[in-house]
Amino acid sequence: MLKNLTHVHRPSTIEEACALLAAPDCKNIALAGGTYLAESSDTTIQGLVDLSGLDLNFIRETSEGYAIGAMTPVQDIFKSKLLKGATGHLLKAAAGRIGSTLLRHSITAGGNLVSVFPWSDLPPALLALDAEVQIRKGIPKRTVPVATLLEKTPREFLDKSELVTEIHVPAYGATTGTSFTKFAKTANDYSLITVAIRITVLQGLIRDVRIALSGCTKKPVRRPEAEALLKGQTPTPERLANAAARAAQNLDLTNDFRASKEYRSEILPVLIRRGIEDALRQIAA
Amino acid sequence: MKLHLTINGKARTLEIAPNALLLDVLRAAGCKSVKKGCGEGSCGACAVLINGRPRNSCLVFAAQCEGADILTVEGMGTPEHPHPLQEAFIKHGATQCGYCNPGSLIAAKALLDRNPSPTVEDVKEALDGNLCRCTGYVKRIEAVLDAASLGKK
Repeated sequence: MLKNLTHVHRPSTIEEACALLAAPDCKNIALAGGTYLAESSDTTIQGLVDLSGLDLNFIRETSEGYAIGAMTPVQDIFKSKLLKGATGHLLKAAAGRIGSTLLRHSITAGGNLVSVFPWSDLPPALLALDAEVQIRKGIPKRTVPVATLLEKTPREFLDKSELVTEIHVPAYGATTGTSFTKFAKTANDYSLITVAIRITVLQGLIRDVRIALSGCTKKPVRRPEAEALLKGQTPTPERLANAAARAAQNLDLTNDFRASKEYRSEILPVLIRRGIEDALRQIAA
Repeated sequence: MKLHLTINGKARTLEIAPNALLLDVLRAAGCKSVKKGCGEGSCGACAVLINGRPRNSCLVFAAQCEGADILTVEGMGTPEHPHPLQEAFIKHGATQCGYCNPGSLIAAKALLDRNPSPTVEDVKEALDGNLCRCTGYVKRIEAVLDAASLGKK
C-alpha cells in the first residue's frame, strides 16, 4: 500500500502531466495500468499522475511501421488486427505471453517497458525489432532507441518530468522472420528465459539479425557478438549452433528458487538456436 | 477524495482514500461477490468488468475508475433471474466452494460479450487468470460453451 499517498491527479494533457511529474515539493509518479504501483509499499510516493486521460491508447500504422500509444493495454496488442507481418508476429507473441487475460487488460505497453522487470515480455521483442520510444517533456519531444532506454533502467534514463508517450516499431518485409520464446514453469508464471529473434535473409545470406534475451538476466540484453557471427553468412546448422552458443556466453545469469544459473546456462543456447530456426521458418512461411 | 462511477448500472458517488484499491471500495460499497484471494493479481477471484474490460480489482486503484462503468456478479443476475452463464455453471457443476465463481463468471462474460461463439481454446485463454482449486477446469469450460450455445438460440 502507498501509505503516504495524498493525491491522485488526472491531467488531460501531456504538458499538464509532465508539469505534475516535475513538481519540486512533492514526489509524484506516473500511473499507467497500476499493476505494479497497487502492490508497492514505497512510502516516498505522495502523488500519482493518472495517464489514462491523455489519449495514449492506440495502435496506428505509420510510414515506417506502427506507433503504439504508451497507455495501450497489452491485450490490445495481442488481439490487434492492424499489426501484421514479422513485426506483428513478434509483438503479438510477446504481448500474449504477458501474465493472464485479466492482467493483460491492465498492463500497458509503456508500463511494461518503463518499469521493466527481469521477466517483462515486451522489452526483448522491442529490442529485437529496433523499436524507438517517443519521450515528451511537456511540448518538447525526443525519440530514443529502446536499446538506449534500456542501457540503464528507463527510470534512471528519463528525466523526472519526462514521459514515454509512444513506441515506434518498424515494419519488416517478407524476407524477415521473427520468433518469440518464453520458457516458464507454467503458462503464466514469470519467465525463466525469454528469447526474441528477428532475422532477414536475402539470396540465401543473413542480411540482418537480432538476438535479444530476458528473464535470465537482470535486464533485457542484445547479443551483438553472436549476431556478428551470422551476418553475411548462409544459415547452416553449425553456424546457428555456434552463434547460439556465443549468445549464451558471458552473461550474468539469474540464480533463484525458480531455476539455478547452471540450469539456465544449459537450456539457453538450445532455446536461442531453436528461436533462430523458428524465425527462419517464418520467412519461408 | 470523491469518486464518481457507475456500479452495476447505478450512478454512485463514494468518498475514498487516494490509495484505496478498487477491490476494497467495491466490497465496502456492498459488492461482496468481489473476493480477495491472493491480492497480487494471480488468482482472479477479484475480477470485475471496468468499462467492459475484465481486470483484477486488487491491482487497480479506485481513483483510476473516475467515470468508469463497473460490473460485478451482483449486476449480472439475481437468484430469481440468473444470467445464462450462472445457470450453465450450476447445470454443469462448475462450482464447488464457490470462491472463484464471481471472477470466473466475469471473465466468461467478457469473453461472450466480445466473442459469442468461442472455441474451447478461446474459453481456456479467457479464463487463464482465474484459478479454481476445487472442481478443476473442465466443468467450467463446458459451462461457458453451453451458455454460448444457449445465447444463440
